[in-house]
Amino acid sequence: MKPRNIGIIGVGQTEYTTKRDDATLTEIAREATVLALEDGKIEIKDIDAVVFSLALDSLEGMESGEKWCAGAVGGYRKPFIRVHTGGTTGGSAVHAGFFHIASGLFDCILVVGAEKMGETPDAQNVLNRIFDPIYERTVAINAVNMCSFQAVRHMKKYGTSEYQMALVAVRSRKNALKNPYAHIRGEITVEDVLNSRMICYPIKLYDCCPRSTGGCAIVMASERFIRKLNKKNVAWIKGIAGCTNSYFIGDRMDGSGINDYADAEGLFLAAKGAYQMAEIKNPGKEIDFAEIYAPFTSTELAAVEALGFCERGESGIYNEKGIFNMDGRIPINPSGGVLTANPISVTALVRVAESTIQLMERAGERQVKRARTAVATGEGGSLQFYTVTVLSNRI
Amino acid sequence: MRLCKQERGFLLLNVAIIGIGQTTYGEKKKQSIDEMVFEATKKALDDAGLQREEIESVVTAASDEIDGRAISNMLTAGSSGAYLKDEVKVSDGGIYGLILGYLRVASGVFENSLIVSWTKSSETSPDLVSKWAFEPLYTRVLGLNYISSVAIEASAYMGKADVKDEDAARVVLKNRGNALKNPLSHISHRPSREEIMSSRFVSYPIREIYIPPKSDGACALVIASRKRAKSLNRDCAWIRGIGWSVEEYYAGDRELFNLSSLRRSSQMAYKMAKVKNPLIEIDIAELSDVTPYHEMMIYEALGFCRDGEGKSLIRNKITELGGELPVNPSGGILSSNPIFASSLVRVAEAALQVTGRAGKRQVKNAGLALAHGFTGIFSQGSSVVILGS
Repeated sequence: MKPRNIGIIGVGQTEYTTKRDDATLTEIAREATVLALEDGKIEIKDIDAVVFSLALDSLEGMESGEKWCAGAVGGYRKPFIRVHTGGTTGGSAVHAGFFHIASGLFDCILVVGAEKMGETPDAQNVLNRIFDPIYERTVAINAVNMCSFQAVRHMKKYGTSEYQMALVAVRSRKNALKNPYAHIRGEITVEDVLNSRMICYPIKLYDCCPRSTGGCAIVMASERFIRKLNKKNVAWIKGIAGCTNSYFIGDRMDGSGINDYADAEGLFLAAKGAYQMAEIKNPGKEIDFAEIYAPFTSTELAAVEALGFCERGESGIYNEKGIFNMDGRIPINPSGGVLTANPISVTALVRVAESTIQLMERAGERQVKRARTAVATGEGGSLQFYTVTVLSNRI
Repeated sequence: MRLCKQERGFLLLNVAIIGIGQTTYGEKKKQSIDEMVFEATKKALDDAGLQREEIESVVTAASDEIDGRAISNMLTAGSSGAYLKDEVKVSDGGIYGLILGYLRVASGVFENSLIVSWTKSSETSPDLVSKWAFEPLYTRVLGLNYISSVAIEASAYMGKADVKDEDAARVVLKNRGNALKNPLSHISHRPSREEIMSSRFVSYPIREIYIPPKSDGACALVIASRKRAKSLNRDCAWIRGIGWSVEEYYAGDRELFNLSSLRRSSQMAYKMAKVKNPLIEIDIAELSDVTPYHEMMIYEALGFCRDGEGKSLIRNKITELGGELPVNPSGGILSSNPIFASSLVRVAEAALQVTGRAGKRQVKNAGLALAHGFTGIFSQGSSVVILGS
């Protein structure tokens, strides 16, 4: 059944930085909330319910930090719920907000979250704790080497090169120069990437995302509510879907080629569902740009293939041809993407927020030409959880 | 709370609980987390008569800290049947999983959803984890934990409503007595009045025996849209009303004896279920009796009686099995407490009651049931689900 029409009418983002010594988690969440409400020109009393986007408690040093933030984000005396699916959290939160409205119970929802990873001395140590304590944790696996396995497999399977990965980093950094919220600034060359310190083969320092602190919020509303306010500039949510894969990475390396770790199979299936709801038949032609959750350059290569922008194994060549550049056919991550800011709790929410800003044609210097339909993704767990959201500025 | 009027073409869809699965609850179970989750999931699927492949959406609810994992639904993706399905986790009590599952099905996007919640309390120290729920700047340094927070609330309530230690003992006797009829219960021992009165105070006015056990266990539900539920051609528990709400974080900013978040969430649920007089209309309630004092506080917040009269419901045996409104025929949290799953167990037990499948603990003519869950410290958040036959 086709759900109600639901749109995003306001977006708020703080600047992303390594650390914030001037604000607590609640204060960062509040900053984003106030900005989103101002942007949507609505007041907190218009908000019917709140969805809080908060990932790993251990990165904030507090159990159930969303409770602390409940008052600061205006959740006080309202229905308030927190979702947590690791990196996917922001995408899951948007989908939860969507279901709040689509159920018919509510008309206007605030989706907000904050990340204060600067509290954590070693995020990778925390991320080691996502793995199985008996079989995997002891081999010191973390988010970097988890993704490097995927990169190596992609290289082996399709002949993807480190050069092609470096092109992703160069493009992201270039795009980020025009994004006032981006954490990592500064232009780099392919040589810079290839010569940067090896972290875990083939991932080098400049192939990696930073660990960021910051907050993000969006205001979602039903068509009825939007019409009542007579809003014209709206990013409509056309399709949503999520997909969860198996936990153990080894289960996706059986050599059968089905659900292979090199390919983001979960993302492929989530995209299939979201495209179906959005009635998109040919994503390569119908999607104008994408905001992809890719914490490493290699992750993005697999993602654009799963999203159907090119055939499997072709993403490297597409990057060489510049198809994903700002002036290319499908600009990828006009914001600079996760490689230039990764506040885990809200990273996937930022993808939706940035897509919204583009669709509203308010992205300033980073504006994509003819931005009509966008896809925003989330990725979490052991490349295990995926969310896909298709947005359009036409209802 | 403002509920949307039904829009043309977008009716509020009816959603029903069609499958229930519970493990037994106990101390230091030998099963691993995913084995417990698998058991509950499989039982719920069998109960609903569905195959894993037929499930369209999965919602999980658990605590990373108590599970000792940074993203605990990674592990349970397989055992909850979520493999290559649309799955999401709420880092909250199981009843919030049901709420999100309800919203997902009510939206019309999914025809059904599986909800599973678990806690393996023996994996870690839940009391230690609860210390970290206090924010680091002002309150954590006080050394409070979950037990001291409920004790402060109970103390405030005792003073306000003139409740006696004996009233708390009556609640324990009732719930532990009911638990004897529940084969899944963690504790199957009804203490004597002397045993209760000689139990030591852990944090005044909370005696050791007033603290729920810390259980291992999992609970799963399958919910479905009206169309799917009807096609099964059997009794299901219909979700008539649902409500949830949160209060300000700092306990000092609110009255500690009146459970204001519960008052709001019950108003939302009552409005949806068109319940005007809860004591008369509701036939059975499964409440989060985190202490016996809280059970009486909850009576008042839910409008079962006037404020300050919670004690008379228990003194007059109105909430006993066979009374006007039996509360916690399952034995409640005082008898089994798989912490994060406890609130989903309340819903599962309420669903068993309205479908007449509660065995020895069955309440006669249970047409309308209420289930309740708390979240956070100092009862910051509450949720209410009303089920009808």
